[in-house]
Amino acid sequence: MSEPEDLELEALQRQLDDAFETTRPRAGFEDELWTRMQVRRPAGTRLRDAWLGLVQGIREVPAVPMAAVAALLMVALGASVLVYSGVGRGGGGATSASLNRQSGAQPASLSSPGAFGQLPSPRFAAAPTKASAPGVAQSAAPAADYAGQVALTWTGKLDLTISSAPVFRYREPSTNTADQFATALGAVLVSRPAGYLGSYQTTGFSVRVRGTVQSPAREPTYTVLPITSSGSIDAAGGPADVALVFLAERSLAPSWQYTSNAVVSGDVSKVSLYRQFGVTGYGYAYLVDGNGERYGIEVDLNGVRPISATGPLPLSIDSAQYPIISADQAVRSALASTPASAGAAGVPTATLTSAELVYSVVAAGDHSFYEPSILFSGTVTVNGTTYVKHVLVPAVDPTYRSS
Amino acid sequence: MVDDRPSFEDLYRAYLGRIYAYVRAQVGTSADAEDITAQVFMNAYQAYARFEARNTTPAAWLFRIARNATLDHFRAHGRRERLRRTIEHQPVAEEDPSGVAEERIQYRALLARVAQLPERQREAISLRHSGLSFEEVGVLLKCTEDAAKMLYHRAVKALKEAVEKETA
Repeated sequence: MSEPEDLELEALQRQLDDAFETTRPRAGFEDELWTRMQVRRPAGTRLRDAWLGLVQGIREVPAVPMAAVAALLMVALGASVLVYSGVGRGGGGATSASLNRQSGAQPASLSSPGAFGQLPSPRFAAAPTKASAPGVAQSAAPAADYAGQVALTWTGKLDLTISSAPVFRYREPSTNTADQFATALGAVLVSRPAGYLGSYQTTGFSVRVRGTVQSPAREPTYTVLPITSSGSIDAAGGPADVALVFLAERSLAPSWQYTSNAVVSGDVSKVSLYRQFGVTGYGYAYLVDGNGERYGIEVDLNGVRPISATGPLPLSIDSAQYPIISADQAVRSALASTPASAGAAGVPTATLTSAELVYSVVAAGDHSFYEPSILFSGTVTVNGTTYVKHVLVPAVDPTYRSS
Repeated sequence: MVDDRPSFEDLYRAYLGRIYAYVRAQVGTSADAEDITAQVFMNAYQAYARFEARNTTPAAWLFRIARNATLDHFRAHGRRERLRRTIEHQPVAEEDPSGVAEERIQYRALLARVAQLPERQREAISLRHSGLSFEEVGVLLKCTEDAAKMLYHRAVKALKEAVEKETA
């Protein structure tokens, strides 16, 4: 075979790769079919799965007061009835106590271990420390950074019984991908501003789509901004429900597992749907940014009127299992992140009391990754003020990391 | 015994797009592709309790179901009907709103040409570009890995000739 013909065949193969990779069913088909499958599932199976999901959800919450468990059971039994009847997007499955949706948009570990080769290491922000009243949840904490050095101690218990975890990989979206996403929303391309894959507009709202941001690493995202005064949304249950209705009306409701959080200040509220990744043998691990803060989709509301929404661009994701470090190694790495000078007299000591598996974006050119890390959390008290302290440690075995 | 299989939903979310693309390249129309894809996952859902990861990969298992569902579709509708639909529903004209990128149209046209290849060539290309290894393609097409490679390369050449003939 001649060399030009070889090259032509290779070009055709690349086109075939692209053709197969970009051929996907219409928006909404995935959830529609999943719902149909759930409805056709035997009723007993649906109820059993709902019950197992509830039990798992309770197990994941340590030291839950019995009264809370009882209350949760009442709520969850109600939810089970809904699942049983096939009501609700996503249908049945592992309904958890936090009213998560079923996991979605993430593949199982399907490739051979380490199939993506050497991985780039995540880059985390330098030791974030935030002021917080003791006992106040991280999401509600004021963001007053404590810039001083701290020494670290660990008094918690890290149960990490798994020896490997999935790494997720996505292909950097092209302008074509962004256009398809916007077209599915009914929006038309207006321009391609610098730093964006496209800016689009349709009746009532505009959309901007951005590719992966290198630093701080963030996956491709969309931002929806209502450009006309959008109507009030009638949804019982509060800001989270309003946000979900707003997203669902535009086929933007997350297809992945999440927990929701709403921060309300007067008429204005911010609803966050924190993204989670399923890890066999562990449960669900949150997606966090370089500061260890959970994120996913954010919807800003003014009363029951949506102002804007930002979330990850729906992309096809591959996965591969990678060996991860042990709990002991993770603790050692966390404590070793203390600067050598931190042991000096007068340097406050942060006590890390909990740790969990999390995922963070690692930007890497044509393909980027969601890689697992261990997030250690604790507090440090300086001059009577208590601050939250986070330490992130890459979880993938160092021999599988390139940097 | 520990069940280390992924949940069916994980499998579903991971493979829906790839199975759809595979089927779409076989039947040439999105309506048929959706119907067959739905049937594939309905069948897989019912059979998942019997799936054993040690015997086969989830990909090979799902694509086997997809292949059987596609063949059933052809048996039910007849090859002539399939060809007629493929020709009638030229992908360039299908459900493309104005403004869709030219690249996307070209890809659809390419898949339509794949759909018109002889059956085994069409399957070799579709399975391979859906992410299966040659070994998995060989198992599904009941031939050796080497034979699957040869079949695939012949199919790509045939496709190239078809493209050239059409653009000449």
